[in-house]
Amino acid sequence: MQMRAKVIRAALAMVAALVMLTVAACGGGSNNSKSTSSGPSGTPAKGGKVTLNAIFLPATWGTVVKDTLAPEYERETGVKVNVQLIARDAIHDKMATLFAAKDSSFDIFNLDYNWIPEFGGAGQLVPMDDMVSAADRQDFFPLTLKVATWQGKLYGIPQTIHPALLWYRKDLYGDPKIQTQFQAETGQKLEAPKTMAEWLQQAKFFNGKTFHGKKTYGWAAQAAKGFGNVHTWLSFLYTYGGHPFNGDFTKSTLSSPQGEQATAQWAEMMKYMPPGANGFTYDNVTTAAQQGTIATALQWSWGAFAVDDKKSSKTVGDWEYTQVPAVTAGQVSHPHLAEWVIAVSKYSKHAVEAKKFAAWLETKKNDVVQASLGGGDPVRQSSYSNVKLTKDKVPGTNVLRFRRLPQVIVAMKNAMPRPFFAGEERWETTVTTPLQAVSLGKESPAQGLTQSDKAVDASLQR
Amino acid sequence: MAVSTPPRPAAAGPTRFLKRRAGRRRQWPFLLPMLPGLLFLGAMAVYPTVYSLVISFFRWNLNNPLGKQYGGFHNYDILLKDPAFWHSVGVTLRYVVASVVLELGLGLGLALLFFRSFPGDKLLRALLILPMVVAPVVVGLLWRYMLSVQFGVVNWLIGALGFGRVDFLGSPSWALPTLILIDVWQWTPFMFLIMLAALQGIPEDILEAARVDGAKPARIFFDHMLPLLRYPIAVAVALRLIDAFRVYDLIFMTTRGGPIDKTETLSWQIYDAGFKSFDIGYAAAFSWLMLILVVVLTTVFLRLMLRREDLA
Repeated sequence: MQMRAKVIRAALAMVAALVMLTVAACGGGSNNSKSTSSGPSGTPAKGGKVTLNAIFLPATWGTVVKDTLAPEYERETGVKVNVQLIARDAIHDKMATLFAAKDSSFDIFNLDYNWIPEFGGAGQLVPMDDMVSAADRQDFFPLTLKVATWQGKLYGIPQTIHPALLWYRKDLYGDPKIQTQFQAETGQKLEAPKTMAEWLQQAKFFNGKTFHGKKTYGWAAQAAKGFGNVHTWLSFLYTYGGHPFNGDFTKSTLSSPQGEQATAQWAEMMKYMPPGANGFTYDNVTTAAQQGTIATALQWSWGAFAVDDKKSSKTVGDWEYTQVPAVTAGQVSHPHLAEWVIAVSKYSKHAVEAKKFAAWLETKKNDVVQASLGGGDPVRQSSYSNVKLTKDKVPGTNVLRFRRLPQVIVAMKNAMPRPFFAGEERWETTVTTPLQAVSLGKESPAQGLTQSDKAVDASLQR
Repeated sequence: MAVSTPPRPAAAGPTRFLKRRAGRRRQWPFLLPMLPGLLFLGAMAVYPTVYSLVISFFRWNLNNPLGKQYGGFHNYDILLKDPAFWHSVGVTLRYVVASVVLELGLGLGLALLFFRSFPGDKLLRALLILPMVVAPVVVGLLWRYMLSVQFGVVNWLIGALGFGRVDFLGSPSWALPTLILIDVWQWTPFMFLIMLAALQGIPEDILEAARVDGAKPARIFFDHMLPLLRYPIAVAVALRLIDAFRVYDLIFMTTRGGPIDKTETLSWQIYDAGFKSFDIGYAAAFSWLMLILVVVLTTVFLRLMLRREDLA
């Protein structure tokens, strides 16, 4: 009997210990921080060191932060910043799940600006207004700050911009033989297109012909399902004067004459892309540009670094950049804006230190440093006249490395962001499918847009 | 003639009950060591399952500052009326049925080939199961590059044979069959292994007796081997059925649900709802409908395959 009582007591003690351990582990889980805890927010405890954890995109601006700037910041301030590089969709997923769990594991996030209304509006990001002085506000492109702001609060420090530009092959456009051939076929002079009609005509001319020993296609752009085709199509939609929504984002307004014209032009242009272009991502467009299999491209301004890289490109110095063509001569076009910002989690235990690091990354000096290291186009207007960038040449050539920058300045005057509201990511997911049906010729532009309107309105109701 | 039942001893009932109770009392300290396992199971499986069922009745977007709002059957109602849901059910069923049937046929065929040993069979067997051990994400990436219209080795071979290039992953008519074939490439080895083990477990004397009776190979297979393979087939198909329903990583790495919506499976739509739109309640309802579908199909299949006494 005594033996049995002993067994029971031992077993109960074991279970109690296990339950306590489990409770302790669960309790610590939600607010567990990988940051070295060290007293009040951002203030290292005596003899302690603050460690920040950040997530950046594995694009060049993320690797520059991870490999160069974060180590430099640690040398300067003693604050260590662990940078993890995570793909775009995964950042979005991770932020939502971490925030839902009120998890403080990560202090800093690299955000696509269209997530600002989503996460800023839900109160999951720390306002950064105090980190941007009046002089800074004058220096940043106004649009970069506008898309980092939601309901009057700045939730992110702009890190890099890349409005869509039209890329064209200078070596093909400047070749007298090709110019003569083009003139003979079209009666027009071959020069960088200023209107959508000219661009279409040129894409048709180049498509399928062999130039400089390579079979060439008219153009390439992101067209894959997801965000790729939506981002490319937006430059057409905005340029034709279309608007995806009514003023308060309660109704989809894609079915308009402007929307149909834009979509028809985009779908027609899609016929002159390389085979398999319906699945083209940013990487596929870059590869096609590097291999010299396309004559023109609609691509982010920042991507230009890849075609001037001797290790991977066969077209070093061959690409030139201009504005997205307008509808008619003399009008302006409205390229779609891409921008990444740096934001701080509301659940960060070192929010002050995290904000300081984010602001430090975008000082005047570091904005230029990042660009010169290939980390995307600068967000400060002053950087565009910095000789480090304006005089820098592609190694071994006489070609200016940052020859695109004057075009970026012009593009930033007319660029337009994605629909700036909390449901933007869902909106992209909704319209990408009917848009692909249009680009594959399975539906007419009118049918595709009507279907998009219906699907978007239904998702807004959900 | 009336049959009289012998009367029970008056004390039998309570005595037996008391004995059973005493027996249980003696046993329960020894059941205590199972408690950690049960707690773990409860925390890791039961709680999340029940929780997901509960939230499927809520309108809950993670980024909505208002939080959860009870919606009753709102999510289920929207889903069942949504053509996109039924479309994804159709895509998933086509994917699952085609891939599992092909895998079973090929796996069984290969197992029959390897049933009798031949020179080099061990090496070949090891090579055959390689695709199964590769992560689906890697498989997707591998095939995306191999099937690329411009730079892929498959299209290069097709071109070398004088045919036109095929946009396997970008063409609305090719995308789903291509994904099915990739799945078949990866998971046929699984069927092969189970079928081979099952074939090797068939008593040799049964086959020998049939041979002595003059049965031809086809007759031996259909009359003697196949009935004995019923249980392994049921298990293998049920496992693959459940697994194929969950396909996500392959689609993520290759078509992303496209072209248009041709490869949008249930799992893909659940991901979109849960992680793109953060409609957690809606995604939970979606998951429960998928679970019901998987359970119904697996049960029907098992009932068809197995006898009543097997199920009992």
